[in-house]
Amino acid sequence: MAITVKLDDLLYARRMTLTELSERVDITLANLSILKTGKARAIRFSTLEAICAVLACQPGDLLEFEPDSVAAEQSRAA
Amino acid sequence: MTNSPALPVARVTLQILIALNWLWGAAILTLLTATIVAEQWTFTALGITPSSWIPSVIMGLRAIAALGLVAIPLNYMVLRRLLAIVDTVREGDPFLAANALHLQAIAWLLLTLQLLSILVGVIARAISTPAHPVHVDAGFSVNGWLAVLLTFILARVFSAGALMREDLEGTV
Repeated sequence: MAITVKLDDLLYARRMTLTELSERVDITLANLSILKTGKARAIRFSTLEAICAVLACQPGDLLEFEPDSVAAEQSRAA
Repeated sequence: MTNSPALPVARVTLQILIALNWLWGAAILTLLTATIVAEQWTFTALGITPSSWIPSVIMGLRAIAALGLVAIPLNYMVLRRLLAIVDTVREGDPFLAANALHLQAIAWLLLTLQLLSILVGVIARAISTPAHPVHVDAGFSVNGWLAVLLTFILARVFSAGALMREDLEGTV
């Protein structure tokens, strides 16, 4: 996946644990863990909004596009 | 949905139908064997007098019984797969790729059963005479073919549903 989730970095910067975030955004710890480890296939706008509101960040701070991994994936497929 | 009484009723009904299907198969097998082992006695009991014995009629009746036997395992496969689908509905997650495959298999089995039914109908019509009319509940059935079509469509619906469900599972 060329999109990486930088939740770990944001949580570290805010000195917040995943459990604490889970309680504040009202999303299960299991789902947040899926998001953090990059196993999620999609993210709802409502989830993005809740995380951004609690962590006081922009969606771009949470998600990053890595063109290199797209090239790597394409070369793997070819 | 899981508390609906329709599901336990459907489960019990399917189990009863599976048992009845095997009994029906045993009855057909017994009849077919009897027409070979005790030919005269069996056909007399069926109301076919020795004077009206025509080899083609006898062979036709045996062919109908044999086709009936072929239908038994097909019926069983349909009922078992339906039972598996009902169980997943009870567990609360019916939109699975496995269910789409079950439905597709059921559709093909129903199609085969319809073809068998037409074959039985054709044989029955061929051996039926005014003196000895053969009445069998078989032949072309609009409802039967509609069920085949609906099951194929339902299989596609489940296939699409399973994909959507898979996507939803990865959504946070």
